[in-house]
Amino acid sequence: MSNILVELSNSMAAATEKAAASTVSVNARRRMPASGIVYAPDLVLTADHVIEHEDGITILLANGTEAAAKLAGRDPGSDLALLRLEKERTTPAEAAMQASIGQLVLALGRPSPEGIEASLGVVSAIGGPVRTPHGSLDKYIRTDATPYPGFSGGPLVDAEGKVVGVNTSGFGRGVTLTIPADYAWKVAEQLARSGSVKRGYLGVRSEAVELTEAVQKALNRAQASGLLLVSVERKSPAEAGKLIVGDILVGINGQPVPDHDALFAHLTGEAVGKSIPMQILRGGELQTFPVEIGARP
Amino acid sequence: MNPSVLINDALDELMTRIRPALAMVSNGRHGSGAGVLAGAGLVLTNLHVVGRAHTLQVTLDDDTQYEAKLIASDPHVDLALLQIPANGHAPAIFSATPPRPGELVYAFGHPWGQRNVLTGGVLSALTIIRGREGDVPVLRADVQLAPGNSGGPLLNAAGEVIGLNAMIFGGDQSVAIPSSLIRSFLAEARKQAVPEGVL
Repeated sequence: MSNILVELSNSMAAATEKAAASTVSVNARRRMPASGIVYAPDLVLTADHVIEHEDGITILLANGTEAAAKLAGRDPGSDLALLRLEKERTTPAEAAMQASIGQLVLALGRPSPEGIEASLGVVSAIGGPVRTPHGSLDKYIRTDATPYPGFSGGPLVDAEGKVVGVNTSGFGRGVTLTIPADYAWKVAEQLARSGSVKRGYLGVRSEAVELTEAVQKALNRAQASGLLLVSVERKSPAEAGKLIVGDILVGINGQPVPDHDALFAHLTGEAVGKSIPMQILRGGELQTFPVEIGARP
Repeated sequence: MNPSVLINDALDELMTRIRPALAMVSNGRHGSGAGVLAGAGLVLTNLHVVGRAHTLQVTLDDDTQYEAKLIASDPHVDLALLQIPANGHAPAIFSATPPRPGELVYAFGHPWGQRNVLTGGVLSALTIIRGREGDVPVLRADVQLAPGNSGGPLLNAAGEVIGLNAMIFGGDQSVAIPSSLIRSFLAEARKQAVPEGVL
């Protein structure tokens, strides 16, 4: 019998099979293995918290081969780690750079040599930024697919078997979140290149203050608040850029900075080493200071 | 037409087709489980649903009730075959195609005594439970099961039985006995059936 339900079922099974070829088992802890996603022929992306020992890491590939791997880099802030296969090469996963609420997804994992495991759900929510135990995450996905034990580091895939994100229970409180693929892939790229993720650093403490109408008029935009610098760290990029306590930071690169989140959004890894114009209100006058963003220690 | 409307229609059809083959099995003492018609007058269920009962009651979808007799069982795979003096009910179809992880599955049964409840999900894994008398291959699905689902069918999207839900088996996990095991059990068990009309 063939009907639309059978077709849907076949396509979900095909999506599982396709993604299963790039879903591996990661053995780097004493308990049961976790899961991982093949990012490049020799690179496996997984959750950072499942790497409990860096020596003697083994990966069970989809074809049943047990492969030795070394740590290529880790980023506890986003709970991602990248492993490099020593000899074997395998099929990389395809990433889906967009997710939408309500779409059908499958959570996959390979926590045992018995084979791939799957659970069905929908994208329940997309949120962020969120503070994590070791940093922060710009964006996250939540799903109602059952996170079976050992699913951390495994993919959340769409109905075509493309990776929508990396599942992890590593942010604690019993919650499983999915790190969106576009973000995870960027982190993986940096880990492959340099072994760690660079994050921008300015070296100021600040608090949000109201901006008067006169200031908003001078800015030529409606902006209710800016950031009053209450301290500037010594030998910091802010100090080198001649920012001082009492300055009000109102814009970066021509974009408004009304609160901490807006400032944070500019301090990315890509900004490190670049000179970025900071729009400052000092003594009632708008001035622009180019500041070279540093790397967060 | 909107695919989700078509999917709902297909689900209705699946449920309508399988309902006459779904039985309720009660052992007269504690609660009841489900069963599935496996041939004329033959009801397949879990052995743990039968328990040690001497009198068994089977209720079919048309609300007819029958005294059932246990004719074969295999504790290793938790299967039991009952015979009832009833004919003319269409039995379920047992799938002969190998199950695939990620395929849509539906559990049909009577969770907490509520009749004819369908819960959906996907086939999560083809796994193994290590039993006292050897390993038993089982299906694991992410469908919601509750007491009363035991002995009921796990269906694929075509409405064929791919397994028999046996949630008690292996603790808190929702597992099902695969149709491959059911087929070999039935092949033996059918030989124990009393010819029609004799019961």
